[in-house]
Amino acid sequence: MLRVISSRFRSKVVSVCTTLFGISVFVFVVLRVIPGDAITSSFGQDTSNLTPATIKALKSYYGIDKPLLLQYLNWLKGFVTGNLGFAFHTGTPVTTLTANSFPVTLELALFASIIGVTLGTLMGIYSATQPGGRRDFFGQIFGLFALAVPSFVLSTLIVAVSANKFHYFPNGYEYSKPWQNLSLNLQQMMYPSIVLGIAVAAPVMRTARSSFIETQEKDFVRTAIGKGVNERRVRFVHVLRNSMNPIVTMTGIQFGYLLGGAVIVEQIFSLPGMGRQILDGIMKREYATVQSSVMIVAISFVVINLVTDLIYRKIDPRIR
Amino acid sequence: MVTLNKKKRIQLLAIVAATAMATSGVGMSASHAAAQTVNIGISADMDKLDPHTSTNFATVRILGLVYSELVESTTDLQIVPGLAKSWYWNSSSTQLTMYMRTGVKFHDGTTFTAADAKASLERIKASGSAAGNLGLVTSIRAAGAQLTINFSAPNAPFLAALDGVNMAMVSKADIDAGLIGKKVNGTGPYKYVSWTPGQSVKLSTNDSYYKSVPKVAGLNFQIIPAESSILAALNAGTVDFAYIGNPLIAKQVGSGLTLQTQPALAYHVLQLNARKAPFDNVNVRLAIQCAIDRQQVVDTAALGQGSITGPFTMPAYKSSLTDRPCPTADAAKAKKYLAAAGYPNGLTIQVMTEGGEYALATPIAQSVQSQLAKAGITVQLQPLDAATYIPKWLAGDFGAAVANNGGKVDPDTMYTRYFTSGGNLNKVAGYSSASLDSLFLQGKATGNPARRLAIYNKITHELENQAVWVWLFAPYDYYISSKKLTGFTPNPNGSMLELRNVQLG
Repeated sequence: MLRVISSRFRSKVVSVCTTLFGISVFVFVVLRVIPGDAITSSFGQDTSNLTPATIKALKSYYGIDKPLLLQYLNWLKGFVTGNLGFAFHTGTPVTTLTANSFPVTLELALFASIIGVTLGTLMGIYSATQPGGRRDFFGQIFGLFALAVPSFVLSTLIVAVSANKFHYFPNGYEYSKPWQNLSLNLQQMMYPSIVLGIAVAAPVMRTARSSFIETQEKDFVRTAIGKGVNERRVRFVHVLRNSMNPIVTMTGIQFGYLLGGAVIVEQIFSLPGMGRQILDGIMKREYATVQSSVMIVAISFVVINLVTDLIYRKIDPRIR
Repeated sequence: MVTLNKKKRIQLLAIVAATAMATSGVGMSASHAAAQTVNIGISADMDKLDPHTSTNFATVRILGLVYSELVESTTDLQIVPGLAKSWYWNSSSTQLTMYMRTGVKFHDGTTFTAADAKASLERIKASGSAAGNLGLVTSIRAAGAQLTINFSAPNAPFLAALDGVNMAMVSKADIDAGLIGKKVNGTGPYKYVSWTPGQSVKLSTNDSYYKSVPKVAGLNFQIIPAESSILAALNAGTVDFAYIGNPLIAKQVGSGLTLQTQPALAYHVLQLNARKAPFDNVNVRLAIQCAIDRQQVVDTAALGQGSITGPFTMPAYKSSLTDRPCPTADAAKAKKYLAAAGYPNGLTIQVMTEGGEYALATPIAQSVQSQLAKAGITVQLQPLDAATYIPKWLAGDFGAAVANNGGKVDPDTMYTRYFTSGGNLNKVAGYSSASLDSLFLQGKATGNPARRLAIYNKITHELENQAVWVWLFAPYDYYISSKKLTGFTPNPNGSMLELRNVQLG
């Protein structure tokens, strides 16, 4: 038995490492293939003023004068040892940038997931109580709306109404960390969390609805109802608990996506998260910033998957 | 003592969090308004701290408040003393002698001298992005408060070239210690306090500024990437002042805010690379020029917010709008030019456009595309991100490109780099001629405004009649402020130096 677990674990570790290695190579190559580099990004039109000697010195400064393989190995060695590289435009280590941006994204993902999972699950249950009926129709309309309305439209609408009608736009202040000003921080997280939460709610709602309908057809549910157990208790304890696995899977996937940074929402609500960090890095051809940030997101995704696996085992003893 | 079970505790926590989120805005505006720091919304972050190599608009604007130059241009584009209090030229315009102000302090408390000015100019010439401005400089000498600059040929427009943050005066000691770009030490109206990348830049008032000391405690630049969100922040009162480039956003400014619209020196242009087929044929270029209705481009792409222009946008040397084969759009004439070029059945061209912060690039390109179609020219658009566009643009690796090029106070500094055969951007211009080389040299040799105007009119004539590029329109810059902020006057060159005069009522 132990040997089986160990073999599964080894296989999982190999698969995860291969995936991460593949991602690192892919990002490295893509960044080098697209035209432009840190020098043209930094000097713009005035690159033409630079002398060959200055360009040579700048290439050395940005570390782009070395062979590609060496550049990759240097970055990989640094990453593995905790040195994520250096963002030359801002003169800041990527570790510092990430230490600032990752918590923002994590907080946003957490709030959005709470809103999304709560709303999605409740709407899924609501729909499933009357499959094909009026409740289901209403639930499906909600799901369709949440899927169809792009987050930038919803964000812009919220910003415009809030600022113009109520003169309230907390994201117009500089971003505040929770320990600096919790009140302002929560306000700044409110709108983007709602926008992303609605986007997360749609797939969760659809998953919850299907899973709930399937579970409530099971024999043990009919038995419980036959034994006179309260309908609400049957729904929220017996059916919900046994419908949780697909919901947890969907939540894990959505949470992983959110950790990748919701670029558009972060832009509109002026949140300095991972999405903006990666976008800025791409625009400025900050190779180390992009490579390291993408790897952190990828590792986070892997960790979320592992956590999801653990939650399965907790809520469904058959998987243990 | 009341104890709560796990379920109750979770419920209580949820209620507390929800209440905090819903109610904690109370009183916030008042506490922020109490400080006399001006909150400014900007859509792009700075990208460096070295004034001599900065090209990014945000960097130039912010560092322009921290550093000073030897001269500065007023809001009506007159060159007036900056750190140099006076100057004179020799009779042949080959030597400029300047006298520095005395008693001016850098932000670190050290005194500014002519030796700092010499070291700054030498650094710019060696590695600055405005090195081209110092191309004719043969030697610089500092003695006491006097700075003498010698040129290899007459260089009357040089004074105007000294304006702008790329020509900033920095400390010689900082240069020697390799601190430029790391230590921010200027002589401008505001001192650098901090830069949190992607979030904010904070400046405080320089109480020993050599001109009128600012009346506010400082400036806090908040990076809000979406211009629509900047407008929201202005409406909500969380931001006091902002610069906006997108006319669509400017159109939405309500009566509760002050909107200042400033025609810019910059211009939107359809660049044609005369060194690449089919644009090496002047008739193709003229066909394109004739097919484009510039006013329609302004109306469709910029909602009418801009004025059509020729090559020179500065009021003193403004190009004629009629000195060209097609003063107004003429599709029939365009087809004749096309036939003369050997394309009686039309042709297909590619136009490169830049995305990102250049919000109008795509609307302009689409407007041009639809107009050229009427003359039988099919346009294929190549939208690229800025970091891809710029190297291709610099290498002249395009046939046609929509560009938003910066304008200058003086016509010489604006176009010598493009349209003289030795200009550092001549590859980008795709065109040069012996006659243009000669005219630009003549423009440098005289300081007489009437004679210079005649020279630059001739340059306009050649550029337009050869349809070297198709100049479209000069945009407007928009400065939006809350009603309580007063004292800001926009400058056509895009500088926000006048933020030194603002106050919050």
